[in-house]
Amino acid sequence: MSTSMLRTTLSRRLPAAAHQVRHAASTAYVPGGPIYKGTVNDPTTFPPPSRSHGSYHWAFERLLSAGLVPLTAAAFVTSGTNYPILDGILGISLVMHSHIGFDSMIVDYLHPRKFPLIGPIVSWTLRTATVGVLVGVYQFNTNDIGLTELIARVWTA
Amino acid sequence: MQALTSRSLARSSRSIRAFSTSPGRWQAEPLQKPVLQKEFKIYRWNPDEPAKKPHLQSYTIDLNQTGPMILDALIKIKNEIDPTLTFRRSCREGICGSCAMNIDGQNTLACLCRIDRNASKDSKIYPLPHMYIVKDLVPDLTLFYKQYKSIKPYLQNDNVPEREHLQSPEDRKKLDGMYECILCACCSTSCPSYWWNQDEYLGPAALMAAYRWIADSRDTYGAQRKEHFQNELSLFRCHTIFNCSRTCPKGLNPAKAIAEIKLALATE
Repeated sequence: MSTSMLRTTLSRRLPAAAHQVRHAASTAYVPGGPIYKGTVNDPTTFPPPSRSHGSYHWAFERLLSAGLVPLTAAAFVTSGTNYPILDGILGISLVMHSHIGFDSMIVDYLHPRKFPLIGPIVSWTLRTATVGVLVGVYQFNTNDIGLTELIARVWTA
Repeated sequence: MQALTSRSLARSSRSIRAFSTSPGRWQAEPLQKPVLQKEFKIYRWNPDEPAKKPHLQSYTIDLNQTGPMILDALIKIKNEIDPTLTFRRSCREGICGSCAMNIDGQNTLACLCRIDRNASKDSKIYPLPHMYIVKDLVPDLTLFYKQYKSIKPYLQNDNVPEREHLQSPEDRKKLDGMYECILCACCSTSCPSYWWNQDEYLGPAALMAAYRWIADSRDTYGAQRKEHFQNELSLFRCHTIFNCSRTCPKGLNPAKAIAEIKLALATE
């Protein structure tokens, strides 16, 4: 009883405030800006859940980083010409690892919601670069001495 | 001695009250504390003059006439020098979280932060970093509270028992170090990820509050709570920088709670 009475009193008392709230909600949303979605009493919302963007991505990233440690050690003690599969796995893992790292930087600093023009451009530049590097590593590993051998030669040069 | 006795007798004959309040000249003089002037540089910005840029205003007070904490200095400045200085404070004992501010480069509660007695060095006081400022040292925490609300910080359980919710001492122990959070926003505003992406990333305070309910054995909505974090921004913008744990004035460890959520999500 009392709440409904309060509500009617409030709505009668505060037509200006209600109007302001409607106005704020209809104003264009500025990411990170001082204009809030909804009223100050509404909770923030969550984007639709997606495990490939969430826990799967995180777990893959961490396992890849952890896997690179023994992989690098294995490449260090073996020779790339004798173990071309290991060389290939190392090449792909390194490129994926750096792609995830750069992508994380784009999400942090150049997210498309804040940078509607630069964000997608940088994102697609990274994707193209990653594909290009993958192709280059493949060519280098199949037609030339390969990653491990290159590092070994530079090391002793 | 004789003269003294006769004098006090004479005085007591005038009035009995005078005897107790007569000044004892044989008592030691109270020591005058030396003056210890210290400079405080405080961030000022007035919304009534929006064209004027924020600036640091300098105040010099005598530390020996001030309480030991930064909050005491602020209150002294407001009372005695500049009543327009604006800051939030309430409990003065580190349980309300109102007086969170950036003192000498560290987010902390003014009431729990001792004044550095080194008078040759000034103390700089800023509001919580990377927040919209209402006035002077008062940040706008609206979004922070909206985010806290979004994680549903209350018990959710469909099987309400007939009497109270029972919990084993071991399960209760899991909440230690999390339920003590006072939501002062020191941790969230010290986090670079929260600075850049606070419209989407929840920040350490809200995430620790979320894990406080995920870890609670009496709450049965853990799966739904975790499902909310399955996106790239809400939770996974934490890059384990550990500023949150380092700055927490209550000595809590939000970074550990966030790591626990990540592990719980990955091993689901």
